[in-house]
Amino acid sequence: MKEIVVASGKGGVGKTTIAASLAVFFAKNGVKVFTADADVDAPDLLLALGGGKKLFSMEIKASRKAEVDEGKCTGCGKCIEVCPFGAVIGQNDGKATVVGLMCEGCGVCKLVCPVGAIEVREAPTGTLGVEETKYGFGCATGKLRLGEHNSGHLVASVRNISRRKAQDAGSEVIIVDAAPGIGCPVIASITGADYVIAVTEPTPAAKRNLERLSKVIKHFGVPAGVVINMSGYSKDFETTLKDWVVRELGFQLLGEIPVDYEVVKALVQMKPIIEFNPEAKASKALIEIAKRVRGEIL
Amino acid sequence: MSTPIVAVTGGKGGTGKSTVAVNLATGLSAENLKVMLVDTDVDGPSCATLLGVRLENGEEVRTFVPDIEASKCVGCRRCIDVCPEHALIGLQGKIPKLYEELCSGCKACQMVCKYEAIKDGWKKIGTIYSSIVDEVKLVVGELRPTEPRSPVMARATVMKAIEELKGDGYDVAIFDTAPGVHNAVAQSLWVADLALAVTEPTPLGTHDLKLILDLARELELPVEVVLNKADVPGGLKDELLSTCRERGIKLTAEIPLDEELLRSYIAGEPLMKKAPNSPAGKALMSLVLTLRDRLKGGEI
Repeated sequence: MKEIVVASGKGGVGKTTIAASLAVFFAKNGVKVFTADADVDAPDLLLALGGGKKLFSMEIKASRKAEVDEGKCTGCGKCIEVCPFGAVIGQNDGKATVVGLMCEGCGVCKLVCPVGAIEVREAPTGTLGVEETKYGFGCATGKLRLGEHNSGHLVASVRNISRRKAQDAGSEVIIVDAAPGIGCPVIASITGADYVIAVTEPTPAAKRNLERLSKVIKHFGVPAGVVINMSGYSKDFETTLKDWVVRELGFQLLGEIPVDYEVVKALVQMKPIIEFNPEAKASKALIEIAKRVRGEIL
Repeated sequence: MSTPIVAVTGGKGGTGKSTVAVNLATGLSAENLKVMLVDTDVDGPSCATLLGVRLENGEEVRTFVPDIEASKCVGCRRCIDVCPEHALIGLQGKIPKLYEELCSGCKACQMVCKYEAIKDGWKKIGTIYSSIVDEVKLVVGELRPTEPRSPVMARATVMKAIEELKGDGYDVAIFDTAPGVHNAVAQSLWVADLALAVTEPTPLGTHDLKLILDLARELELPVEVVLNKADVPGGLKDELLSTCRERGIKLTAEIPLDEELLRSYIAGEPLMKKAPNSPAGKALMSLVLTLRDRLKGGEI
């Protein structure tokens, strides 16, 4: 079983659109596929696949938060001083209180409290679930609590459950839709995966963020290919970009997808573009990319 | 009074947060306001690229990691047991091994060591750059690739900006945030006086907008919506507008789809300067003027 991660340094370049179309192409062409939405902060893959039927859902409690017992607190301020995250603040009466959103639960406040007024308790990180899509394959999803830190842990849970369910279903491939950026959730998505499809668009900002993502991909030793989405606006820049991807990054170029407003219409209908309009320019490009991924990576 | 901070955020990626932030900063500065623009999207900062400038005056951001002195360590494992991130491992009687990428810099290990064997060590998590671009002070936080702790880097960037805002007569600070509603975004919203949520008229835009509206509510932060790519063919503008209505959220600006905007994006020159009379340029200008008046009137 192969795990293919769709990632991008910059947001909004088309990860979810591409992941949804790849999965549906595989499902319709005899490749047993499973999907995982590892963008636990803003999970959109199921929306792009037209929703799902909930098979399973559970709460994940992997976070910890400090709590001050105001009855015991003497207002000495030691905890406020040592908190590395600025999460413990003094109230008007001098007693300490914890801003839950900022607290990482490290517990140093508890260590320094001379009167034992602080406890660190387990707290919810988010939810984990599996749904079945109308295309017959499953989708593992996670939803991080608003403002939460522990995204890497939740991403790892999403990947674990997707591997288990994919194995049960006899799937050959898991398509993982990653979060934008290069931080904890992205690292948790690509470590140990078989291949990364790095999505970009032909703009200087996206190029720069692709370069940053490439450093992370190489650090973790995962093979990768690049898809250039929304091309067609700036031919000169696109030519340079393609050359740069191959020569400087040393990644293979999997293909490019032209700007096509049919993609927006498909999103509005909550259908993958290759399903909504297989004749659209973007669909044709995506199908070529999907065939290439099937032929060369699976 | 402290300088008002306007956070430009939005939930979904690629909706135009940085475009709005850069044009607001450029536009307000042209209106003779003293502006600081802060890129807190430390995973993928784009403001400098959109302004067409190189990052300058880099200052390293370092966090604590334990530096264990072998001659003093007795291998008691207290530090290993207390480490909340499980960044230290080792056997009884042996010197612990540190997995640096897991360390959050909390210093719990140092606090519990009875033998003073843990000295301050440092790891670089990123760089904060500052420069002046057309009278706008630009502060950019950039996470070091392979370092996972975006929230810590975002917080460092926010703190640095707040420090620099003190006493320097700034009229406004624009904070560009990362996509999403995770902690690195919350770090910016936490200090802001107003959030502008930039979104686009698609189901994904609406879905993620609701998340950012929820986060703003949790932080008791006033939030208004900027609808970008408002007239994208096939878009779902009505649904988005009804979401705003239902929640009593003001739609502050609508920016039409405009190829000029894309050209300015690729050229690294804000639309406010490159083509202020284009359809999107006019929409952005009207947002600039609205904010200028509200800032001058002390409403933000």
